[in-house]
Amino acid sequence: MRTDPNIPDPDGFNEAWLRAHEGLADDASGELDTRLVLLLANQIGDQQVLLDCIAEARASGPPSRRTP
Amino acid sequence: MPANAAPDTWTFAPAYELPRWPHVAPPDLGAAERLRYPVVIAGGGLAGLTLACDLALRGVRAVVLDDDDTVGVKGASSRGICYAQKSLETFDRLGIWERIRAKGITWSVGRTFSGDDEVYTFNLEDDSASKQPPFVNLQQFYLEWFLVDRIVELGGTDLRWKSTVGRVEALPAGDAVAVEVTTPGGVYTLEAEWFVDATGANSRIRDAMGLDIHAARSTDRWCITDVRFEKPFPPERWTWIDAPFNEGRAVWQHLMADDVWRLDYQMAEGADAEAISRPEVAAERLRAQLGADVGFEFVWIGPYQYRDHLLDTFRVGRTIFIGDSAHVVSPFGARGGNNGIQDAANLGWKLALVLSGEAGEALVDSYHDERHAAAVENLKVCRRTARFLAPRSTAEHRIRRAIADLARRHAFARTVANTGRMAQANVYPPCACAPEGAKSLQNVPVDGSTLMTWLGDGNGFLGLLIGGDAGSIAACDALEARFPVRFRSIDPQSPLAVHVAAVCAAPAGSVVLVRPDGYVAHVVAGAGLAGIEAALRIALALDGRADAQAAA
Repeated sequence: MRTDPNIPDPDGFNEAWLRAHEGLADDASGELDTRLVLLLANQIGDQQVLLDCIAEARASGPPSRRTP
Repeated sequence: MPANAAPDTWTFAPAYELPRWPHVAPPDLGAAERLRYPVVIAGGGLAGLTLACDLALRGVRAVVLDDDDTVGVKGASSRGICYAQKSLETFDRLGIWERIRAKGITWSVGRTFSGDDEVYTFNLEDDSASKQPPFVNLQQFYLEWFLVDRIVELGGTDLRWKSTVGRVEALPAGDAVAVEVTTPGGVYTLEAEWFVDATGANSRIRDAMGLDIHAARSTDRWCITDVRFEKPFPPERWTWIDAPFNEGRAVWQHLMADDVWRLDYQMAEGADAEAISRPEVAAERLRAQLGADVGFEFVWIGPYQYRDHLLDTFRVGRTIFIGDSAHVVSPFGARGGNNGIQDAANLGWKLALVLSGEAGEALVDSYHDERHAAAVENLKVCRRTARFLAPRSTAEHRIRRAIADLARRHAFARTVANTGRMAQANVYPPCACAPEGAKSLQNVPVDGSTLMTWLGDGNGFLGLLIGGDAGSIAACDALEARFPVRFRSIDPQSPLAVHVAAVCAAPAGSVVLVRPDGYVAHVVAGAGLAGIEAALRIALALDGRADAQAAA
């Protein structure tokens, strides 16, 4: 898993991501992000990287927002 | 078939007439002393009968103890329905393939739907080089029936009906097990050099030994409707992840013999088993799926919750566990009955060669090594499917919706939609008798015969000389006198050689040692006699230790 900056236009990506959520209810937003994860996972195509990303996503949330 | 035009009527087909076999008083009753047998199998289900039939062909006269006098479960219900290629190949070797083919439904295509859209399709025929198709659907009792007929035809096997196993006790010498048997004519105790528990998921033999099976029960509830109806569908495996006609829950649709369709409906969690299996409720579900005016006839309706379990060790001394007594998985992917059959196919030749003194007793340990590993794999695969089919949280539902939505548009997402990964011959990890693990070969045609026919002829290994010349065959012949093995040369361009090369690296000039169960034990490069002998000694557990002289 690479954690050094690798997104060519970070602000542009963030803007497009936010724009994709515009006008969506919470449920629909959640579903969009889930589809996005699946699409991105297929771009990565490296099982260990995917597992590392899942672990890091889980670990990087603030402790107060995790279910005990 | 009656047409059920009126919306509130339904009929049941008459129950199947299953054959019954007589209880014959065994010689043990009234014998002055206990009789001892080489192999005693408790349980005349798929696994037990497959083992008995396999042993009969290998010249081992097994005793089979069954508490009933017929096959299947009571009435017209069926448990297993899908039989996988490896099972069918095994049945070809056992001599009942033609009956299965004639009676069953051959299929290879599976379709998965989400809502009204088809999101995933597989055709298992694409990967098949075998004489047998990827799958045949057949009610389980037919298979058991064919097996009993074949066992009777072969002779030698002692089928004891109405015989219930009671106390089981390993003898102090460790070379046999005492088994108490209750029959209509009285109680007796016999001794088994090898005792095989094939009595199924609720084995009392296993439980009396105090063995932990790590049981887990799902809260996911289903209701099977076996039914004949007047609507033509192709003989394919259709699954809905979220059927619009079943309140957004999963549905299975699959054809069996005698025009009987198995429809399996996922029910709401906590649904009342009695209520969902009432005929009028089942009829309502059926009409929602097929249309209000379709004519139909029920064969069987049955609610169930699936469970799974796995025994830690499949061999305890001279007692061996096969089939559901050792492992149970959820029904998705046909990994239950097929793996009971493969347990039997893995064990039969090993017991036969150990009993004849041609293999070391440690070979039986490889039954546990290989089949326990297969069960672990099957459990993992089936639990993943079960979780896809019954999401446990809002997040899991959302993930499944994402997969279904993308699957409508993109091939990659279809591979993540998991409505069951169909049973295939498990790859075995390395163990003492197979240091490189073992991979299965398909029943490929060869020289007017097939691999399984070659393997079924005798009780031993098959040494395939890839492009071997007369000289190398003659040299190998010397080994045939000393080990249970026969050698045959095949053309490197032949379909069998091409298939072998796809399974394991086997260049021209090498010798591929194929086990009696159709798995490759070893590839010996260069066909050197010393290398072949060394490989055979390992595969027969004759390597080192006290067993080494057994083959001399």
